[in-house]
Amino acid sequence: MTTPLIELHHVDRTFKKDNQPIRVLQDVNLSVYPGEILCLVGESGCGKTTTGKIIAGLLAPSAGEVRYHGENVNQLRGERLATYRRDHQIVHQDPFASLNPAHTIGQILSYPIARHRLAANRAEVRRRVWELLTLVDLTPPGDIVNKYPHQLSGGQRQRVSIARALTVNPRLIIADEAVSMVDVSIRISLLKTLQRLRETLGVAIVFITHDLALAKYFAWEGRISVMYLGRVIEVGRTEAVVHNPAHPYTRALIAAIPEADPEITRSKARLTLRSEDIPSLTAIPPGCAFHPRCPFFVPGVCDVAPPPLDVPPNYEQQVACLPLLGGGALTPYAEQDATV
Amino acid sequence: MIGFSTVATPVGILIGMLVGLIPLIVGIRLKKIPAGIGGFFGCALSGFACGFLGGIPMMILTTAVVVSYAYTVKDDPFLSRAALDEVDFTETRTQFLIRSFASFGRALRAASRAVLRNRAGFVGFVGVMFFLLMTTFGPLVIEYDGRAHYYDRLLPGSQTLFQGPSAEFPLGLDYQGRDILSHIVYGGQAVIATAVVAGILTTLIAVTLGAASALIGGIVDTVLTAITNFILTIPQFPLLVVIAAIVNLDDRLWLAVLLAVLDFPTLMRAIRAQVLSLRERDYVEAAFSLNMGLPHIIVREVLPNMVSYIVISTIFSIRAAMYAQVGLVFLGLVPLQEPDWGVMILVARQQGALFLREATSMLLSPILAIALFQLSLVLFTRSLEEIFNPRLREGL
Repeated sequence: MTTPLIELHHVDRTFKKDNQPIRVLQDVNLSVYPGEILCLVGESGCGKTTTGKIIAGLLAPSAGEVRYHGENVNQLRGERLATYRRDHQIVHQDPFASLNPAHTIGQILSYPIARHRLAANRAEVRRRVWELLTLVDLTPPGDIVNKYPHQLSGGQRQRVSIARALTVNPRLIIADEAVSMVDVSIRISLLKTLQRLRETLGVAIVFITHDLALAKYFAWEGRISVMYLGRVIEVGRTEAVVHNPAHPYTRALIAAIPEADPEITRSKARLTLRSEDIPSLTAIPPGCAFHPRCPFFVPGVCDVAPPPLDVPPNYEQQVACLPLLGGGALTPYAEQDATV
Repeated sequence: MIGFSTVATPVGILIGMLVGLIPLIVGIRLKKIPAGIGGFFGCALSGFACGFLGGIPMMILTTAVVVSYAYTVKDDPFLSRAALDEVDFTETRTQFLIRSFASFGRALRAASRAVLRNRAGFVGFVGVMFFLLMTTFGPLVIEYDGRAHYYDRLLPGSQTLFQGPSAEFPLGLDYQGRDILSHIVYGGQAVIATAVVAGILTTLIAVTLGAASALIGGIVDTVLTAITNFILTIPQFPLLVVIAAIVNLDDRLWLAVLLAVLDFPTLMRAIRAQVLSLRERDYVEAAFSLNMGLPHIIVREVLPNMVSYIVISTIFSIRAAMYAQVGLVFLGLVPLQEPDWGVMILVARQQGALFLREATSMLLSPILAIALFQLSLVLFTRSLEEIFNPRLREGL
């Protein structure tokens, strides 16, 4: 197997609020390989964005380490650190906040090129700006370069955002909910642009989303990593995860995806959770964080220690679920036991 | 010493005409003769006003405007509608110079359009220009009347030398029979110059310390915030009065510094808050991710979004400095130097102008001059908002 671009090893991240630590990420292990698509899915507050920012080097982990080509990023200095930063670019969720309103698109794109001397002279910088705009399907570029961000539509701005990320020839783009604030009609074309960039430029994409249907569409050839309350609970090839979900949480998510045909959606077998409420990050349940909601809860097993991420029998993806890893099938939890 | 150092000299007009030749020649070569002639006169006039210091910037501004008429957006391949493989971006150094000049000129024209479009702002602009031109060019037309008069100007049957407006003296005479108009014309120089210097100093201190406080944080932030809290707690004007009574403020520059030091905390706190909020923006994060470096992030990403606020705050600092200054003069805490609008108010009061009908003009003229100048400044900020905010500038 090829060496990963970036690896997270036992990464923890804690934020402080009113002097109370909030554990946003716990023991996250992830690798991103060159040119692949990795989808991070999960509910809001599950730590997807924090993971993305740690991968991008915008946040430091509280514990654990981030390895870039096998080196701990904390030890990177000088030129290596600069390449590490430039190799990982982020495309933000809100296209209205991610571009500086004071500059024209031409300026926004040429600053990084000029700063890192990625073009030989002024003419080359201008040519590169045009190339980038053509690359993200903003044509003719001459109409765009002298405009201010507020003169563009949301979809166009998101494309400029992608073009800006591409100025420094990154090897990994972190798309943090990059299409969720764009009109539905433009989403698919944006995703296609991203796909095409991945194929032609060979950049890896970490696609962060709360929409499993979108992840399924976008990352069909890649991997999906499902997160729940700061932990990765299932990670594997998209096809495997979608067709044969292992973790009860993933099963519930997949079961909740609406199908195009309302008949199918209505007759689809739903997985009823024992509780609709997501536990607060300040009071994460012990053991498997999902156990208070899990329909397959096993007392004495699930609520003791956090389950390790491993490949259970009959599955190809890694799952963090002790009953499954023990080789058994999941059995519905009898509710009356809990009333004792 | 601060002030209008080189005011309207014959040498100035020569310098102005000399540098004015550049836009004129450029205009003729680019076949934009009216614009070229306009540039020539602009340079001559400003050279006349401020000598070399006025001629050079004016030359750059007018040349840029002239060039921007000739080199339009259509001439720049970067903005053409051609496809990528059809364009050639190579250019000589001269071409680049022309292009930069043209885009600068376009920005200037956009700014002047913004001034013309906003009615309140335009009134303010005219007012500010009126006072500036009056204090610079007025001395050419009106002679300073600094000598006390007695018999030659005492009206028959009158008890005082005070006089109301008349055909000979449009603003009347003061307690020594001197022409008030000349005092208004000459008396603005020191007041305006000190206020402007104080306002700019205030802004410089506030922006530097505010940005440092927000970006460095930690102990620096704590100390700077504590200092501003301390200064803000003390009532400003009484403190100024006390300091002015202790320190000898012979030099107007020191007065400006003192005003700035007392005025900066409010603005600094506002700047600090803005930087704190701008620092968290997505585009700043993207700039960190692109490894653009802190200087770029401060100068290019954070500051441009505060420029309109900073410029408007400068205007308000100038306003505050002017009032504080006049207040000090009025209380007699600053060494009095005639001619000065503040001194006029003080002397008018001392000479009993409050009780004499004939003296109304001496009291009201400086007050009106100050009030109108302040009003013009405040109105002008409306235009500045439009000039510095790209959203408002394009009129979209």
